Parts: sequence; C-alpha cells; structure tokens
Amino acid sequence: MNRALRAAVVLGAGLLAALLVAAILALPVPAVRLPALVAAHLPASGVTHPVTAVLLNFRGYDTLLEVAVLALALVGLLAQSPPRELTHAPSPGEPVLPLLARVLVPFLILSAGYLLWAGAHRPGGAFQAGAVLAAAAVVLHLARLWPAWDRPGRGLRLGLVGGLLLFLAVAAALLAGGTLLRYPPQLAGTLILLIEIGLTVSLGLLLAGLFLFLAEPRSL
Amino acid sequence: MNDPVYDVAPWLVLLPLAWAGLAFVWGPGRGARLALAGTALQLLLTLRLAAELLSLGGRRHAVGGWGAPLGIDLAVDGLSMTMLLLTQAVAFAVFIYARAYFTDRSADGDGHGARNHFWPLAGFLLAAMNALYLSADLFNLYVTLELLGLAAVGLVAAGGNAAQVSAALRYLLVSLLASGAYLLGVALIYGSYGTVALSALPLMSADAPLAVALAAALMGVALLLKTALFPFHFWLPPAHGGAPAPVSALLSALVVKATFYLFLRLGLGLFAPLGETIAWLPGLLGSAAIFWGSWQALRAQRLKMLVAYSTVAQLGYLFLIFPLLAPDGLALQAGVMQALSHGLAKAAMFMTAGVFLQVSGRDAVADLAGVAGRLPVTLFAFGLAGVTLMGLPPSGGFLAKWLLIDAALAQGRWGWAAVVIAGGLLTALYVFRVVRQAFASTEARPPLAPVPRTLEWTAFALAAASVLLGLRGMEVLHLLDVGAAS
Repeated sequence: MNRALRAAVVLGAGLLAALLVAAILALPVPAVRLPALVAAHLPASGVTHPVTAVLLNFRGYDTLLEVAVLALALVGLLAQSPPRELTHAPSPGEPVLPLLARVLVPFLILSAGYLLWAGAHRPGGAFQAGAVLAAAAVVLHLARLWPAWDRPGRGLRLGLVGGLLLFLAVAAALLAGGTLLRYPPQLAGTLILLIEIGLTVSLGLLLAGLFLFLAEPRSL
Repeated sequence: MNDPVYDVAPWLVLLPLAWAGLAFVWGPGRGARLALAGTALQLLLTLRLAAELLSLGGRRHAVGGWGAPLGIDLAVDGLSMTMLLLTQAVAFAVFIYARAYFTDRSADGDGHGARNHFWPLAGFLLAAMNALYLSADLFNLYVTLELLGLAAVGLVAAGGNAAQVSAALRYLLVSLLASGAYLLGVALIYGSYGTVALSALPLMSADAPLAVALAAALMGVALLLKTALFPFHFWLPPAHGGAPAPVSALLSALVVKATFYLFLRLGLGLFAPLGETIAWLPGLLGSAAIFWGSWQALRAQRLKMLVAYSTVAQLGYLFLIFPLLAPDGLALQAGVMQALSHGLAKAAMFMTAGVFLQVSGRDAVADLAGVAGRLPVTLFAFGLAGVTLMGLPPSGGFLAKWLLIDAALAQGRWGWAAVVIAGGLLTALYVFRVVRQAFASTEARPPLAPVPRTLEWTAFALAAASVLLGLRGMEVLHLLDVGAAS
C-alpha cells in the first residue's frame, strides 16, 4: 500500500471518529423509551429478566436468525476444510494442564447448567451457557485429553443444528396458530426454557466446533 | 391483529431455514429433493401472498404479537412482493439446474465442497433474502444482512481452489466492513430516536440531528458496497466469476438485488428527504458502472468474467432511477422491472456459461468457436438473455429501459436517457462478441462431454421468461401500487 493511500485511510478514519464523537455528544433525547416498554410487558413474557425477555420473546425472531448465523458459520467452515487425517489417540503431555482440566471441566459444565437456569431471572441464558460449554471443550483439547474434530457424523451434525431445528419447530407450531413466535402466556416460560436448553447444547457444540474443526491435528 | 386472512409470509423464512438445517443433518451432498420440495412450496406461498396482496392490500405481521416498537414487525407491500416472487422463481429454476449440475461428473474445478454443502448454504441464503424482504425493523435487517453475506461467502468459497478462496475472502472482508458500517448507522438511529422499527421512525427532516445524517451516510455506503455499485464493484467479478455456475447465478441474479432493494427502501422511506440533495450521486455512479462494466465485459477473456462484468454494468441501471424518482412512479417501475428482468436473464446467462464449461471443460470466450451447431438450445438461451440485457423488444429489459427513458424525457433530462441508450449499445457489443464466436467455424472439433438436458432447458426457461416478462410486465408492475399496511 503506498503512502498516499495510507494517509488517506488514516485521514478518513480520523474524520469518521471526529464526526462520531460530535454526533454522540449532540444526541437528542429519544422519543421512544424502549426500556420502559420492556418493563411494562415483562410480566407477560414468561421470564423475569429483561434481557432474556427481549432475546427470547420480544425480539425472539432476531435470536432465531442469529442462531442460524452461527450454524451457517460452521457449515461454511466445513464446506471449506478438506478431509484430513486425524490421530485420535491422545498422547501424554505435561502433567499440570491435564490435571487442571480434569478439575475445571466438571465445574464448567456445572456453571453452564447454572447459567442456563439462571437466565430466566438474572443475567445468563443459552448463549453464555453455550460459550462456557465450548470453553470446556477447548480446555480439554488444549490439555490433550480430547482430539480435534474430523468430519462430523450424523449425530454430531444433528447436535450442531438441533437447537436451531428445535427453535424452528416451536416457531412453526406457534405460527400454525396464526402468529410467528407468539407464546401463549401460560406456556411462555416453559417454551423459552425448552428452546434455551436446545440452544445451549447446539451453541456449545457450534462454538467448540469453530475451534476443534480447525485445530491442528498434530497438537495432540 | 385479528387478521381474518391467515398470514403465510413468515413461512417464507421458516421453510428454507428448516430444509437447510435438515439437509445439513442428512449429510454432504444430500437434500436436493428436500430443497426442491421446499422451494416449490415457497413459490406457491409467494403466489398466494401476491394474490392476497392485490385483493387485500399491504400486510403487516407483528412477530410475537407485540407490535413495533417493542417487538419486530414484518411487512409486505408491492415492492417487497415483486422481489419475493423473483427470488423464489429464480431459486427454483437454479435449484433444478444445480441438482443436475452437481453430479459426480463435475470434477472440472467445481469440486466436492461445492456439491457437498450447496443445499444447506443455499437454504440459508434463501431464508436470508426472504427475511430481508419481509423485515420492517432496522436491526432485524442487519441480522438478515449478516445471514445473507455469510451464506453468499460460504457458497463462493465452498471447496474451491486458491483463486476462489481468495475471491471469497475479499468478499467476506467487504461484506463485514459494510455490515459494520450499517450496524453503526443503526446504533446512531437508535441513539437518536430510541427505536429501530421502520414504522415508528420519523422521516429524516432538515433539522435532523448530526447522528442521523451520519447514519444515512454510513448505511448508504454499506449498502452500495454490498450491491457492488461502481466504484465498489471490485469484489464482484472474481467472486461471481469464480464460483460454480449455480452459485454465480444465485449471487448475480438475486443477492445483489437484495441490498439494492434495501437501499431503495430506505431511500424511499426513512432517508427520502435526502433525495432532493444527493440523488444525482447514485445516478452518476450508476452511469459510470454501465460504461466501466460494459468495457470490462468487452475485454474479458473468460466467459464467466464477461458475464460477471455485465452484472456490474446492469446494476448501474438500477441506480439511474434515483435522480428520476418522481410521483408519477415511472422511475420506480423502471427500477423494479430492471431488477426482475436482469435477475431472470443473468441467472440464465450464468447457467449457460456453466453448460459450456461442463461440456468443454474450458471457460475462455475464444474456446466457444463452433458451439452454435452443437449446443443450439444453450446458445439460444444465451442469446435470449442477451436480448433482455440489451433492452430489445419485447423483453423485460426493453420495458425497463423504455420506462427509464420515459421518466427521463418526462422531466426533460436527456442526459440520463442518453446513458441508457449508450449502455444498450455497449451491451449489444459484448453479447454479440460471444454469439459471433459461437458461430465461428473451426477446424478443431474437440469432443464435447454429454450434458444433461435439464441444464440446457432450465437456462432456456429462465431466458425465455426474461423476454416474455416484457409482454406481461405492466401487470406485474401493478403490484407496485399496493402500498404498505399502516
């Protein structure tokens, strides 16, 4: 990249930053107060934590598409990587990391379960729980207790998109009743928990997959 | 909310997501029949929706029963309906083609990865476009853009060679940059107004806060980048020209139209007042795209690159409408007709390029010599698609260009009309360059691999549809009179 182009990029970025600062300093008071609306409708949402209510109920459709984005990212990755030779036997490495992993992973799984359950009434939920599960998988891999992943079999493929398919099934069942993702108030809490359980498993596998499908087979 | 008519619109998003997911579980290379069944059902639902729209008017669907601004609204009006129709129709034809194209014989560079993961990726792509056309919420639109961009990049990259992967990577970076800019714009709008629902947002006024003006600029540039309007077209030819033919057809015919639609939607709605001051800019860039794209198509060595540069040029016409938008609706009709006819014709053209590639294993324009006598149906399909792109009567392209010239002359703006005519002549040059080469006599008659009839006839059907569209075009454009539901 030549010097003039570089200077132009820097100048443009600086100008954008200055404009952003000026714009944000001059932000008006919004006419619509969404937090108040969310609070007012919280009792009808089936959960008591506003973030979960927005993610799974008020804007549950966004979340459905976001889960599709994550699944798609993994499908795209699998479409990319050629089949490879993997050695499945873990080789002994240094002793400290495996010990740490053996201690940590049960707690990580426990934490994921807690985060999933806590999502209904405090910060937490499927995305956080799934991320913790994925972290557990990565720790196991780094400690050489779990091999990198090869082409997924049908069971793993079902696990990867099962959360999305479950979410879709709930959405389709509700849409058959007339409105997309309109939970009956008395069932809202149950259905949201069901969706979140499915999402926790699938998101955990998806996020772990983004690492393990790419992990160097030789690191074992 | 107690709509007496059952609303089928959300199924257009759920169905492709479902068959994409199931095709993935089913396994690599599987799911073609599932995808075809799903897409056929979507096509039927779209036709039903269009009929309902004509008799009952625009449609709004409050997801979750909440309604904007708390929830997300889906909305269908005439403009989104035409795009939904185009999307399902072209996708259905391309999928029939793709099923025959991705067989074991296609070891000609369109490798295993493309075949193995085409169906799930195509399902996500279709879901993303349908969701985009249905959405009436700026943030939800961002999510659909993400889904669309990732699916398109995945399809370009799938199992490709180094050139294909590098094109996909460039596409990915452009797509991410544009998504980021769009999201920044959404955040600024939310900060200014406290909502992202299109129905709850005020039209941008002259005394709008700086944040809104900045948002308009960021979102505008983002969508132009994704639509590959000159000078943001640099990523398009390698990505569209390098992908397997069915993928190129989907990308060139449909994907760039989706972001154009969003640009138009925001330009007609939220940011409409901006039009009075800067509408000439997209028009000017569109003119530049027509000349630059056509010139590059004339010089291209490979057939698929020629067709890809033709897309750059034809996208230019879409943006000529912005300086001409007026209450008479002529320019809008011209833009929609151009989107529809180019969608049909360009899909057909890439599909014929795929046939040439499969039978000869080569993609150079020069290698087409003597093809006319041996693949008459395919060559005829290419010619028909070319007729639409040139804008010869009675094609849909002719109707689009006629409406555009009409709009320009009604306002006494001869310059834009001249651009349309000059562009048509340039198009004729590069289309005839291919056709003449196909008729050239040649001594060498290398053996041609047999090609499934499905490949030839699906391309022909789309090309014929693009020409016949001109005859029934005004009836299709009646859909545009259907306004949005309040």
